[in-house]
Amino acid sequence: MDFVGWLLDNHLLSLITFLPLATVGVLAAAEGLARLPEAVWKWGALIASLVGAALTALLWQRFDPAASGQQMVERVAWIPSYGISYSMGTDGIALLLAALTSFLLPVVLLASWTDIHKRVRSYLFFMMALQTGMLGAFFALNLFLFYAFWETMLIPMYFIIGIWGGPRRIYATVKFFIYTMLGSLLMLVGIIALAWMHQQQFGSLTFEYYGVPPASGLLDLVIPTEGGAWWQQQSFLFGVFALAFAIKVPMFPFHTWLPDAHVEAPTPGSAVLAGVLLKLGTFGFVRYALPLFPQAAQEWAPWIVGLALIGIVYGALVAWVQQDVKKLVAYSSVSHMGFIVLGLFALNPQGVTGAVLQMVNHGVSTGALFILVGMIYERRHVRDLDAFGGLARVMPVFAAFFAIATMSSIGLPGLNGFVGEFLILLGAFSSLRWPAVIATSGVILSAVYMLWAVRRVFFGPLVHEANKVLADLSPRERLVAVALVVPMIWIGVHPATFTNPMDRAVTELLETVNRRAPDTAAQPQREASAALAVEAK
Amino acid sequence: MAPQLDVFAVAPMMPVALGVLVLPMFEVLLMRRGSVLGQPMSAARRGTYLATLSVGFLLVSLLLTMNAFSQPLRTFNPENPMVRMDGVALFLCATVLIGAVLTVLASTKYLEHVHSNWGEFYTLVLSSVTGMMFLASAADLLMLFLSLELMSIPVYALAGFRRASLRSNESAVKYFLIGSFASGLLLYGSALLYGATGSLELTEIATSFDPESALDLCGAGLLLVGLAFKISSVPFHQWAPDAYEGAPTTVSGFMATTVKVAAFGALVRVVSVALAPAADALGSVLWVLAVLTMTIGNVMALIQRNTKRMLAYSSIAHAGYLLIGVLVGGEAGTGAVLFYLLSYTFMTIGAFTVVSVLARDGREYDAIDDLSGLVQTKPFLAIVMSACMFSLLGMPLTAGFVGKFLVFSSAVQQGLANGSSSLVWLVVIAVLNSALSLGYYLRVVAVMFFQPPREDVQPSEPGSFERIVLLACFAGVLLLGILPQDALPWVVSLVNLPDVNVLQLAADAAASLANASP
Repeated sequence: MDFVGWLLDNHLLSLITFLPLATVGVLAAAEGLARLPEAVWKWGALIASLVGAALTALLWQRFDPAASGQQMVERVAWIPSYGISYSMGTDGIALLLAALTSFLLPVVLLASWTDIHKRVRSYLFFMMALQTGMLGAFFALNLFLFYAFWETMLIPMYFIIGIWGGPRRIYATVKFFIYTMLGSLLMLVGIIALAWMHQQQFGSLTFEYYGVPPASGLLDLVIPTEGGAWWQQQSFLFGVFALAFAIKVPMFPFHTWLPDAHVEAPTPGSAVLAGVLLKLGTFGFVRYALPLFPQAAQEWAPWIVGLALIGIVYGALVAWVQQDVKKLVAYSSVSHMGFIVLGLFALNPQGVTGAVLQMVNHGVSTGALFILVGMIYERRHVRDLDAFGGLARVMPVFAAFFAIATMSSIGLPGLNGFVGEFLILLGAFSSLRWPAVIATSGVILSAVYMLWAVRRVFFGPLVHEANKVLADLSPRERLVAVALVVPMIWIGVHPATFTNPMDRAVTELLETVNRRAPDTAAQPQREASAALAVEAK
Repeated sequence: MAPQLDVFAVAPMMPVALGVLVLPMFEVLLMRRGSVLGQPMSAARRGTYLATLSVGFLLVSLLLTMNAFSQPLRTFNPENPMVRMDGVALFLCATVLIGAVLTVLASTKYLEHVHSNWGEFYTLVLSSVTGMMFLASAADLLMLFLSLELMSIPVYALAGFRRASLRSNESAVKYFLIGSFASGLLLYGSALLYGATGSLELTEIATSFDPESALDLCGAGLLLVGLAFKISSVPFHQWAPDAYEGAPTTVSGFMATTVKVAAFGALVRVVSVALAPAADALGSVLWVLAVLTMTIGNVMALIQRNTKRMLAYSSIAHAGYLLIGVLVGGEAGTGAVLFYLLSYTFMTIGAFTVVSVLARDGREYDAIDDLSGLVQTKPFLAIVMSACMFSLLGMPLTAGFVGKFLVFSSAVQQGLANGSSSLVWLVVIAVLNSALSLGYYLRVVAVMFFQPPREDVQPSEPGSFERIVLLACFAGVLLLGILPQDALPWVVSLVNLPDVNVLQLAADAAASLANASP
C-alpha cells in the first residue's frame, strides 16, 4: 500500500492520465496469452474509467484553490539536451477540464455498452488511448510534451471515426485528421522558434512553459511586436498558435471538418469529440495563445471576435435548417464555441470565468445531446427529424431527459448553460459591447432551433408506425441520463463549486496578460474615454 | 620511407569484405550433392544458411563499428587520409549495417515466394555494404568514386534479381544507365576539382577552393549532381519510382535506405568539408533542391496506386527534408541528418518488409488496395505498417517525428543565429509538405483498417526472420521516438558495450566532422 500512497502523493496526475492507457495495455497483453471474453474488456475499461473519475475527485479535493500557479507538479527529464522534460501540473482551469474529461468517459462507455457491435476490444483500446491523450494535453507544462499529446490523440479519434463510423466515414476522418494536423504543424514551427528565442534571451534551450525557479520558462520571453525577423514577432507566432487552436475549436471558417466528423462518428466518438476534444482549442487559447502573445492577441482580437460572431450566428442559422439531428447538434456546437471564444477575448474576469465554465457546460450538454440522439438512433437507425414526431407519448422518460439537455444547451436559468452564457455576456458587455449585442441574438436563435427540433421529435401526432413500438429508456440508459443531468443542475444552481477552484487561475492569467502587455490591456477604457471626450467637444 | 598504414582503422569493413569472399564458396559447398554437410539442400534451406551466415558477418562488423566509437579517431593512412573513420563515418556505417541486417533477414522467405532464391543475393548485398561503408568514410574524391561504384554495381544486379520479371529487368537497366551517368558526372566533377585545386583530398580541396572561379564551381556542381542522383533529389529523381517499383521489394527497401544513407554521408562530407568555402552559393542551390525535392516527392506520392511506387516518392520527399539538415550543416544540422537517417531506415524497411510479406506464388501484391483489411487477416502486419506510416508522416512519439523535429530545430537555430529568414521559410514549407504527406500515408492506414479484406490476397504467415525484422522496425520506430535519448543505452547494455546515446552520438559525430573542416 505504500507504493500506492507514494503514487497518489507524487504522481497523481500521471496516474490519472495513464491509467486508461495502462488498463487497455494490460488487457491487450493478456489477450496475447489467452482470448479474453468481451465482457472482461468492457468491465475492465468501465472500472478503470470509474477509478479514473474517483482519482480526479481526489485531485479536486487535494487541489488548493487559494494556492497560486501550478499544483501537483511532476517533472522528469526526458530529452535534457533540448530542454524537454515530462512536466505535468494543473491549475484551476486545467482541473475543471480534466474533471469534465474524467467524468465523461465512464458515462460514454456505459452509454455505448450495446452500441458498438464489431471489434469491441479495439474500440475500447482507442477510447482509452484517446482519454490519455486528452488528459495529458490538459496537464502538460512542457510545450513539447503538450504537442506530443495534442498530436497523438488524433490517432485514436482517426480510428474511432474510420472504423465505427457511418457511410462516409473515411472521407470524414481523413478530413478531420488533415485539418487538425495542418494547423498544429505550423504551431510546431512556432514552438521551436520560441524555444530557440529562449536560448537567445536567457542562454538555455527549453520547452518548459512556466519557468522552474531559478530557471526561466517560455512565458518569461520578451516577444517583440515589431522589429526583428517576421517569424520572431508576436503577430506571426500568435497566428500559428491561433490557427491550430481555431481549427480545433472550430471557429468559422475552419469548422467544415466538424459536421462531417460528427455525422459520421459513432455516438461515443461524437460525444467525446464535442464534449472534450473541442475544448482543447479554447483551452489552448487560454493557456498559451493569450498569455504568450497578449499584444498580438489584442491586435488580432477584432478579427477573432468577428469570426466568433459569424460562427455564433452562422452556426445557429445553419443548425436551424438541418434535417439530421446530429448535424443540428454539430452546428449548434460551432455556435456555442463561438460564445466561448468571445468570452475569452473579453479579457476580463467575468468573461474568462464564463468561458471556462461554458467549456464544461458545453461538454456536458452537447455530450448529453449526442448520447441521447445515439439512444434513439440505436432504436430506429435514422436521425432524420421527419422520421420522428410524437415520441413523448411512447418514450416519456427519454423525452424528459432530452428536454432537460436541450434547456441546458439553450441556457435556461437554473441550468448550467445559463450561468456560463450570462457570465460571458456580462464580461463581453464591458469590453466588447456591440459584439455582445450581436452574440445575444445567438442565444435567441439557439432557443429557436433547439425548441423547434424538440417539438418536431417529441410532440405532434405519432405518424410513423415504427415509432409506436419504441421502448423507453432501459435502466442502464436511465443511469447514463441521470449522470448527465446531475452536473447540469449542480452547475446551474450552485456554480460556485466550479468557479471557486478556477478563480485564482483566471486572475493570474489576466495578471500575466497585463504584465506582458502593460500598454494594451488598458486600451478599451482609454479608447472609451477618448470617445467620450470627443463627444463632449 | 613507406607510410605507416593503420590497417585496422578499417577493421569494421573487414568482416563484411571477408563475407563477400566466403559466401560464394560456402554456397558451392552447400549446393554440392553429397557435400561435406551431407544431404543436398533445398533452395529454401540453403537461403536460410546463407542469410544466417551473412547476418553473422554483418553483426561482427556492427560490433566492431560500435566498439570504434569509444576509440580515438583513426585514419587508414595518416599522411593521406583516404578513409577517415570519424564519428559520422561510424554512425553511418552502423546505420548501413543495421539496414543490411534487416534486409537480409527480410529477404530469404520473400525470395522463395517470388521464385528467385539464388545464393548470389547475399554476396551482392555484402559487397554493396562494403562499398557503402567506405563511401560513408571516404575523405578523398577518388576513394569516394571507387566506393560509390562498389556500392552501386551490386545494387544494379540486385534490382534485376527477379530474372523472370520484366519489371525487374527494366528497373535494373534504368537504374544502371542513370546510375552510370551519375557516376560519370561525379568523376568528371572530381577531375575538374583536381585540376582546379591540385588535390583529391577533401580538406585540401577546401583550403585551395576558390569560390570565384568558374572551374571550381563547375567541378563542385558536377560533384553535387552526381550525388543528387544517388539520393534521388529532384530534378534527378526520375529513375527512383521505376527502379523501386520493379526491383524485388526487399531490394527496394535496401535501395531506399542504406544506399541513401551512404550517399547522404558522402554528400554531408563533401558539402561541409570540401565545399565549405562555397557555402553561400551552395546554400541557395541546396535550398532550391530541398524545396523541389520535398514538394514534388509529396505531390507525386499522392497520386500513386502502388505501394512501392508511393514509398519511392515518399523517400524522395524525405530526401528533401534531409537536405535541410545538410544545408544547415554544423553540429546541429549534421547531427539531425544522422539521427534522421537512422530513424528513416527503420520506418522504411519496416514498410517495405510488410509489402514483401504479402508476396507469394511468384506474384507481388504491391498495390495499395492489396492491403485492404489487413488488420483482420494479419493484425501484426497492419500494426507495424501503421507505426511506420505514422512515423513517416511525423507523428510525435515516433522516430520520424524526432528526426523531423531535430532537422527543423537546427534550421530555426541557424536562422536565429545569422538572422536569415530563408531557413525558417524552408521549415514552414517543410511542415506544409508534411501536411501534404498525410494524404498518402493515411490512405495506407485507412485501407488496412477501414476496408474489408480482399478475397484474392492471402498473405502467408511471416517467417521467423521476417518477424524479427518487423519487430525490430516496430521497436526502433517507437524507441527512437519515445526515448531518443536513452534508446541506444538499453540496446547496447544487452551486448555489454560502452554506454552511448543516439542523440549524443549523432551530435558528437557531427562535431568530429566539424573538426575536419579547415
